[in-house]
Amino acid sequence: MQKTPTWQRVVRYALVIIVVGMFTFPTYWMVTMAFKPKVEWSTAHGTIYWVPKNPTLENFDTVLTEYRGQFFRANQSSALPSIRSSIIVSIGGTLFALLIGTLAAYGLSRFSVDTGDLPWYVALGRLALLILVLLPFMVLWAWLGIIRYWYGILTFTILGIAADQLIGRLLGRIYRGPTGSLAFSILQLRMFPPMAIVIPVMIMWSAFKLIDTWYGLVAVYGVVTFPFVVWLMKSFFDEIPRELDEAAIVDGASNWGAFLKVVLPLAKGGLASTALFVFILNWSDFLIALLLTTRDWPTIPVFLNSLVSSEIGAQHGPKAALGLLAVIPPVVFGILIQRYLVRGLTFGAIKR
Amino acid sequence: MANIHLENVTKHFGRVTALQSINLEIHHGEFFCVLGPPGAGKTTLLRLIVGLEKPDEGNIYIDGERVNEVHPRDRDIAMIFQNLALYPDKTVFDNIAFPLRERKMPPEQIRTKVTQVARTLHIEHLLERKPGKLSGGERQRVAIARALVRTPRAYLMDEPLANLDALLRLEMRIELKRLQEDLHETLVYVTSDQVEAMSMADRIAVIYKGVLQQCDTPDNVYNLPANRLVATIVGSPPMNFLACKVQRTNGQLNLVHSGFGFQVVGADHPLWDCLCRALPTVQEVLVGVRPEDIKLYPDQPTHLIAFPARVAVTEPLGAETIVDVQLGRDIIKVITPPTEYFSEKQDVWVAFDMAKVHVMDAQTGARIYTTGAPGQLQCMLPGVCT
Amino acid sequence: MASVRLENLRKEFGTVVAVKELNLHFPDGKFAAILGPSGCGKTTTMNMIAGLETPTRGSIYFDDRRMNDVPPGKRDVGFVFQNYAIFTHMTIAENIGFGLKIRGVDETTIRREVGKIAELLELTDMLNVNAGRLSVNDMQKVALGRSMIVKPRIFLLDEPFSNLDAAFRAFMRGELKRIQREIGQTMIYVTHDQVEAMSMADLIAVMDFGVLQQFGSPDEIYNQPVNTFVANFIGSPNMNFVACSFRSEDGKGYLVQKRGSARIAIDERRRQLLEHHSGNQDLIWGIRPEHMTLHAEPISSDCIQAVVRFLEPLGPKTVVHLRLGEEHIKVIAPPSYREAAGVVQWIQINPQYLHVFDAKTGVVIR
Repeated sequence: MQKTPTWQRVVRYALVIIVVGMFTFPTYWMVTMAFKPKVEWSTAHGTIYWVPKNPTLENFDTVLTEYRGQFFRANQSSALPSIRSSIIVSIGGTLFALLIGTLAAYGLSRFSVDTGDLPWYVALGRLALLILVLLPFMVLWAWLGIIRYWYGILTFTILGIAADQLIGRLLGRIYRGPTGSLAFSILQLRMFPPMAIVIPVMIMWSAFKLIDTWYGLVAVYGVVTFPFVVWLMKSFFDEIPRELDEAAIVDGASNWGAFLKVVLPLAKGGLASTALFVFILNWSDFLIALLLTTRDWPTIPVFLNSLVSSEIGAQHGPKAALGLLAVIPPVVFGILIQRYLVRGLTFGAIKR
Repeated sequence: MANIHLENVTKHFGRVTALQSINLEIHHGEFFCVLGPPGAGKTTLLRLIVGLEKPDEGNIYIDGERVNEVHPRDRDIAMIFQNLALYPDKTVFDNIAFPLRERKMPPEQIRTKVTQVARTLHIEHLLERKPGKLSGGERQRVAIARALVRTPRAYLMDEPLANLDALLRLEMRIELKRLQEDLHETLVYVTSDQVEAMSMADRIAVIYKGVLQQCDTPDNVYNLPANRLVATIVGSPPMNFLACKVQRTNGQLNLVHSGFGFQVVGADHPLWDCLCRALPTVQEVLVGVRPEDIKLYPDQPTHLIAFPARVAVTEPLGAETIVDVQLGRDIIKVITPPTEYFSEKQDVWVAFDMAKVHVMDAQTGARIYTTGAPGQLQCMLPGVCT
Repeated sequence: MASVRLENLRKEFGTVVAVKELNLHFPDGKFAAILGPSGCGKTTTMNMIAGLETPTRGSIYFDDRRMNDVPPGKRDVGFVFQNYAIFTHMTIAENIGFGLKIRGVDETTIRREVGKIAELLELTDMLNVNAGRLSVNDMQKVALGRSMIVKPRIFLLDEPFSNLDAAFRAFMRGELKRIQREIGQTMIYVTHDQVEAMSMADLIAVMDFGVLQQFGSPDEIYNQPVNTFVANFIGSPNMNFVACSFRSEDGKGYLVQKRGSARIAIDERRRQLLEHHSGNQDLIWGIRPEHMTLHAEPISSDCIQAVVRFLEPLGPKTVVHLRLGEEHIKVIAPPSYREAAGVVQWIQINPQYLHVFDAKTGVVIR
């Protein structure tokens, strides 16, 4: 083995330190800020405190109990209700997505339906989706008078469909997955910028009276994270030899029995890591919760947002404190399922 | 206790035809082998019988009952998959007990049955282990135990020995055969190894590209192959095929190869009948001879007609030596005893066992005629008759 | 072209010793095989020769040059793997010529060389066929041609036939041997299939658990195995082994079966050898199934008695399984053999082919 020259090693370590710093400094700053008194976290005095001089729990106190100020949307004086809201809707959304997503993933993994007619179903499905997404826009705009004529809506829709078909075809040419187009079109659901669909969803939800309810949020979270569950779980199911469920069926299990007793226990690790991933997505969502909640069910990110306004200024200290609290559930969840996460990673090794 | 009957079964996967109008009758208590190269449709056949696939056309009957629409769990047939499909997260005990639990058998009864089966297969000391911790042979036994424990109507096995190493395969082969003789149940065994099929089966069905080529006893499949494919699949090394021109001159019928010739003597010879009357347009035939039905002589033998040839390479196998011989324009393989030594590039004389020569249609490959002691052909030296 | 010499080659993966102090010499222009069950270290050995693995200790020489520090790309070895990497978007000719093309050889030379190789492999008629449409069998031929064209010094083949169907495998064995003879290339062939090693190789190295068991010609390996492992691994059906002990009566030596009553007389040379062997109460005699014959009556005083259990008809021969005392033995009989289970048979052993091993060490006594 040759020795690496000294200067190379210096550069290497310097790079490592810079990268590590970039990752850890924000965390460090948030954690310390949570324990700084107002004098230290506020920028008003022009002094920067790298380490808290007089550590205090004042920020936690403010954010959980005392804080009374002007809120942008959340008419609450404490963050406790929003913590409750976050926990309920994140867990609910995760369970919902796991339930439907795992079943869909198993179906896609096992019962390949890629026969002659499939492209048609996919095209139709995508079309329906597009109309669902675009139509509320059209209606809204027509109603507001942006597009005056109904045939304008039609033109717009047709243009949209054409664009979608074009994109779909191009993507289909590049991507050739094992279960092909159907699975891919599910992932395509997530290729819209969330901003584009959240307005129509809001319109729909207000019509269904689902705005500012926990089940309304759970439904949206479930649907939005569903594609991820399908894709992650499908890859886990693909790893499990098909013969295992077939053996179970031949041995006398029903199709459901084979799935529940043989396949699902083997996919535990995958299920756990998918759950964690989806939970984090839901937990940290801001946009959807911002638009779909008003008084009763704003989540932590929405509440955090309300800590900044023109009247009260930016409440950095309380914000950091709440941020620190918000980290706890995913971390605890992660630790709880760690055993399964490791299994999820070594999943390939248990084949036969 | 099952007769399995396949009637005109056809199965397509997309545009690919996996099985084409298969007709098979598997009798009760029979050790039935399905033999064919990889991709021939053997596994599909098993999956159709057990119900994991549905036939596109035709019917499947088990004990006379049409089962096309019956769910696999209700067919009461056990299957051993090629990769064994042991449940990796369950112990050996739970693996074997699985089919019984699915049938809601009381736990005490499960325990006795599992232990009993484990004892017959000598795996009772492994019951608490997980499949990952077992050797190939042990896993094999667990898979067999899982099938045995439920006493099904029939057993299906999909190349169960394919993943074992050679010696273990020999051992398991013997064990399987003994097991079947004890059980006396219907066993359908899929394999691509002709030795397994020949040595174990009561009857063999040879499948190639989804088409049933022949279904007969090992003896008949070997000695009277239906066509060129069967003769290639069964026997190692496979049968030699030599393309011969058919010459019909007045009163004479000759099969002429670049290295030798055969004369069909007498117009009452069955081959004469085939080639001149039944198939008058055939211009070319394949003469098939098995490697063990050819003898090599270092010098021209006096008592029989032999053809001059030259050794290309020799393949010593210990118990026998395969000699690749250049005969005319073709290379043929000859099995010789290890006591006879031939070197490369050596000139030798080739003699066929004239009672074991097959004549096949060059176009379709179908066997036209096989010589026996009475219906032999006469040899001619090359160039004698042109 | 080059010879390959391995000196005290050792490879450890963590605490696992994959190859233990291996000393081998593959002569120039010969066809050598490394044979052993899976996990015996044969692929590791080949990877070290190719340079894909670095030996923990020991040296690799091509001719007289030490190759340990030469990167794999510069060792000038040709590879053929089990999973032939064929470029399916090219024709056969382009595939075979690929190695020359990336070396910047001009078109006419490439065409000439491809023509030569194609002729050798009998692919001439198919040169313009798209490789994606080939059968598995032909793909392996193309893969072989693609490695051959760059004329490597050493040719390494790692179970190249394991994906082929049985009939074609039998055909390719003869073909590869013929090609090797024609190009005179040093070939090292790794396999777990004793038939492939025996039929093709000039020299066979038998390995087990990372240890070289025996190195010699197919004839030596088959007829003079050094231990029970080699004796058992080579030959199909495998050798019969019967536990026995040595007994001397009236100046004559006998091997007496432990789990049965079979008794075999041995010659004077063997008697003396065993007389002085310390573990002579704990022996194994071994004989191959084809070195015994079955008879209805004892044809000589040396015959031993056994009972037929079942037959395995294989076409050209039938394997007869018999019970000898409490042990199980196999005898090759002609295909016409038709005795039923339970029939008593007398086995005549050809003493010339009898092997005696020490039961504790498994090493042959001769």
